[in-house]
Amino acid sequence: MIQFSQEQLDKVNRIIARYPQGKQKSALLPVLHLAQEVFGWLSTETMDYVATLLNIEPIEVYEVATFYTMYNLKPVGKYVFEVCQTGPCMIQGSDDIVAYIGEKLDIKPGETTPDGLFTLKTAECLGACGYAPMMQMGKFYKEHLTKEKVDAIIAECRSQALVNQ
Amino acid sequence: MGIKLLLENAHIEDIRYFDAYRKNGGYRSVEKALKMAPDEVVEEVKKSGLRGRGGAGFPTGMKWSFIAKPEGVPRHLVCNADESEPGTFKDRYLMEFLPHLLIEGLIVSSYALGSNVTYIYIRGEYAWIPDILEQAIEEARANGFLGKNILNTGFDCEIYVQRGAGAYICGEETALIESLEGKRGNPRIKPPFPAVKGAWDRPTVVNNVETLAAVVPIINMGGEEYAKIGVGRSTGTKLISACGNINKPGVYEIDMTISVEEFIYSDEWCGGIKNGKRLKACIPGGSSVPILPANLLLKTAKGESRIMNYESLSDGGFATGTMMGSGGFIVLDEDQCVVKHTYTLARFYRHESCGQCSPCREGTGWMEKLLLRLDQGQGKISDIDLLWDIQSKIEGNTICPLGDAAAWPVAAAIRHFRDEFEWHITNAAEAQTRNFGLAHYADPLPVPEPAVV
Repeated sequence: MIQFSQEQLDKVNRIIARYPQGKQKSALLPVLHLAQEVFGWLSTETMDYVATLLNIEPIEVYEVATFYTMYNLKPVGKYVFEVCQTGPCMIQGSDDIVAYIGEKLDIKPGETTPDGLFTLKTAECLGACGYAPMMQMGKFYKEHLTKEKVDAIIAECRSQALVNQ
Repeated sequence: MGIKLLLENAHIEDIRYFDAYRKNGGYRSVEKALKMAPDEVVEEVKKSGLRGRGGAGFPTGMKWSFIAKPEGVPRHLVCNADESEPGTFKDRYLMEFLPHLLIEGLIVSSYALGSNVTYIYIRGEYAWIPDILEQAIEEARANGFLGKNILNTGFDCEIYVQRGAGAYICGEETALIESLEGKRGNPRIKPPFPAVKGAWDRPTVVNNVETLAAVVPIINMGGEEYAKIGVGRSTGTKLISACGNINKPGVYEIDMTISVEEFIYSDEWCGGIKNGKRLKACIPGGSSVPILPANLLLKTAKGESRIMNYESLSDGGFATGTMMGSGGFIVLDEDQCVVKHTYTLARFYRHESCGQCSPCREGTGWMEKLLLRLDQGQGKISDIDLLWDIQSKIEGNTICPLGDAAAWPVAAAIRHFRDEFEWHITNAAEAQTRNFGLAHYADPLPVPEPAVV
């Protein structure tokens, strides 16, 4: 059963209050971010729940969730690596970074490792062109990537996952 | 050292927090502006000659003066922090390191426009920055610069931060407004312009982060003084985010009087080309503006040194010039492949097309496929003409400028680097093992003698 906690519902109400009365649909993007944070990805059930919260039609949620690339419509790994591959990153070797991560985790872009730990994705310009090559990992950026840095990041994720188990 | 108006205090410890920011002269412009009439603030911005720093370069004061003021209808200022143009990362720098500068600019601008509720729409990927901005907002509120009855002037203002969710198109102002309303980022047909019917059908002004930050020095020093910096219609300072094959990538503030050559090679700025390589090409204003080969970048077709400002960069039109754009300065050295680079940009625009207009939705996909084929050595000579044909049919035929932005890089690449494209076809096998290199792209161009009358 998909359900926000009381604390999360209060947060939703604070978000709705930022917009003019009766325009609660405006809260859709932030509330979807919150839902994804809490439930990991956006299932149809989650999207329907968000529609009820904002008093809008489910289709209004689906059309938004499918438009923006940051919403996951499928389950993803615990750690998602989104490697930028646009021009400025490409000339600094982003292709090699994507290939190296793929090789190391034995997955292709778009796939998740069988243990559910890692998802590899390619992304278009993330606004870190001066610090290329780079990737987004959750809330933060990992910049100036090298193979050694990738090794360290993966090792850190693995040990973190062990601790949390 | 050049003049710094925005990044002057960026190096000061704790400048991210209110106390240090205030101690270094922060929020003076709010104190000054709130003693003026809102229209007088607009007038100062007009006098300053400030042009939109997001890419279009439209005069900000004029944009502000268009805002409709129907009785009883709230107006809104929306800050465009959706920075997504490849090569551009200047707004991120401002928000991360000088959040109070943006908040200060927003308060003054909100006052000028009569916006009691102002929004910052920030790209979703900059996921850690809303916390920084919200902290700055809270500090400003705690010190009486936000909330009800600011500095006892009777002016109320709230600022809210909204995150996008990964869509370049939301940097287009009407798509941004749609997204703010909780919809897909499909640009609207104009008119009506946002200044008349924007967010929730209310009069709305959308301005870039850097533009709004620039309002602070304009009010502090006065519009006329600000206009004295720079040259011609390129007044004030501009942030340039430099990246690519240079020694010192980063965000720089320039006063728009230095030459492109100095900007690339001086140690004060980019510090020259990395690894002692030679300059091949450059996209000086974000991925959407035309790429130029080294020779046309450093000197205009007339043989004059090219300067880092709106007029000089666009000298020669698209035939031999480019644009200032957003200031995303992408440098390519002699080892880079223009075909491959253009392919990644075409892929970017195909990915980011909202799909509303057929020329852009279909055309960007075609261009991506053709460029991939050329890059992989499977192209035909006729593909180059086909690419040219497609880009020319996108340009000007779409609701928003994304179509143009997708067409221009492809057109410019073919215009200036046709030999390299052809080489990829005629030497397909070799093109898979090495790049075309610098070729003649840095050779001095013959400058025609002025006609004797």
